[in-house]
Parts: sequence; C-alpha cells; structure tokens
Amino acid sequence: MPGTAVPPSEGKGIMKSKGSAIMVSLVFVLLLVAAVGPLSAAWPPSAPQATPLAQQSLRPYVNVFIAYAIALLAVLGWVISIGRRLARLERRLGE
Amino acid sequence: MSLRGLRLTGTTLAAVGLLLMLTVYGLSFFWVPTEVAQGVIQRIFYVHVPAAWVAFMAFGLVALTSAMYLWLRDERLDRAALSAAEGGMVFATVVITTGPLWARVAWGTYWTWEPRLTLTLLLWFVYLGYFLVRGSAENPERGKRFAAVVGIVGALDIPLIHLSVLWFRSLHPKPVVAKPEGPTLPAPMLITLLLGLLAFTLVFLGLFLLRYTLQTLRDAADARDRRATV
Repeated sequence: MPGTAVPPSEGKGIMKSKGSAIMVSLVFVLLLVAAVGPLSAAWPPSAPQATPLAQQSLRPYVNVFIAYAIALLAVLGWVISIGRRLARLERRLGE
Repeated sequence: MSLRGLRLTGTTLAAVGLLLMLTVYGLSFFWVPTEVAQGVIQRIFYVHVPAAWVAFMAFGLVALTSAMYLWLRDERLDRAALSAAEGGMVFATVVITTGPLWARVAWGTYWTWEPRLTLTLLLWFVYLGYFLVRGSAENPERGKRFAAVVGIVGALDIPLIHLSVLWFRSLHPKPVVAKPEGPTLPAPMLITLLLGLLAFTLVFLGLFLLRYTLQTLRDAADARDRRATV
C-alpha cells in the first residue's frame, strides 16, 4: 500500500541494523573460536606432566585469552571503522 | 593502479591475513609446545611480537613517506603516511595492551618503567601527537607538514626500542630471532611466529590500501565541495 510504504531513509536504517547484527554475530563467532583454544589448552587431557587442576592458577589462561581477543578486536575494529567511513563517503560522493 | 583495483587488492590481502591470523591462533594452542620456563602465558608471544613488528613497520613507512612528502609535496605520499600512521596506532595499541597482560604473570606486575616499555609508550604518544598536530592546525597544509616532521622524529625511537635490551639493564629478554647467529627458537615456535608475522603484515597491508583509498575519496569529496562553494 502506498500509504504504508517504508520511506527510503527508514529502509536504509533497517539495512544498517541488519548489517550491524551480522557484524556483531561475526565478532561473537570469532570470539567463540578464539575461546576454544585457550580453554582446551588449559586442560590438556593427555599431558603427562600436567600440574593437577587444583594447583593451577587460571590467570595465565585468562590473560592469554584477553590478549588474543584484543588483537582480533583491534583488527576487526579497524576493518569496521574503514568500512563505515567508506560507505559514508560513497553516499556523500553519490549526492 | 585504479581505486577499484586498490580496494580489491586491499580486501583480498586483509581477508587472507585475517584467515592466516586465525590459523596462527589455532597453531599456537594445538601445535606449539608449552614453553618450559613461563608456561602458558608465553603464548602471548605469538600476537605480541607480530603486532610490534607491524607497528614498527607502519611507523617506519610513516617516516619514509613523510620525508618524501616534505621533499616532493605529493599529496599521495601524505595520504600514505596518514594511512600507515593509523595502522601503526592500532597495532601499537595491541602491543602496549598485550604486553602488560604477559608481564603480570611473568614479572608479577602489569607495568614497570624499564627502557623498552617506556620507549614503546613514548612511541605511542608521539604518533598520537601526529594526529593531534594534523587535526589542530588551522591551515591544513601546515598541519600536514608539521605532522610529517612528527612522523619522522617519532620513527627515531624504533631502533632505540630494538637496541634498548642490549644497551640497558632490561626485564625484556634478549632477541631470540633477530640476532647474528640466527634464531634459537624450536621449529614449531619459530614457524608459528613467522606465520604470525606474515598474517599481521598481510592484514596491515590490506587495511592500509583500503585506508589509502578512503583518504583519496575523502580528498576528492572535499575538493568537489570547495569547488561548489566558490
């Protein structure tokens, strides 16, 4: 119906929020992938001289996880920042 | 190369680099042995060192293109310097945030004012100054020239950071790869490190090309707006 048509600006908003949702999901999946490593490295089942779990400190594992996440998020952050600025600039040049 | 070509090349390099980076993450957990003295925390090495390498390469590129800009006054060189500086800041931030996480476990403290840490923090602040000088000048051309000087001066800190562990008493270990008698790392560690260096370098080069494309388009848009207002 012409009366209920979505204005072009709102349509773009929906597209943008969809894009953001996809980007957030992607980051979440990548973080999960990154989390698998430290967690599985934390308790190697077949390591013969592994310290008993009760005597281990979790801090090294947590710090390694945070460091890997920081590196990944920094790169992804730069990717998203460049992508957004490029899209904005293309809209400006298209006007 | 056309802007479209630069964009395609940049996207491809960044995508390959990102995939390789995830591969390095996997290798560092499932293939590389745990270091005997430091344990699991040593695995930060595989992101900390490549990030440092790329940050130094990026700031070196800033210095080179800035010097050439001051000489030739070619806008493309200024765009390249700005793009490299942005990338350098991203990777330098990774270095100065992952380092303390490693230090907290290895040295028992997040931060100590030892030479390499202090000089790296100084490098980060100098290149922060690069953006501040550039943005705060009333005359954009003058801002570019001042920023170029800051970019050149800042890069003088890079060899100092590398040599600080040899010249001063430092908590940082002596070089294990870049030394005259060759690397002394076990093969899995060395291979993972080299792959990490490649991955981070590809990501940087890809995003550098995209950032350069962005700056070229921005300059074109600004020039068009200026023509429209005259």
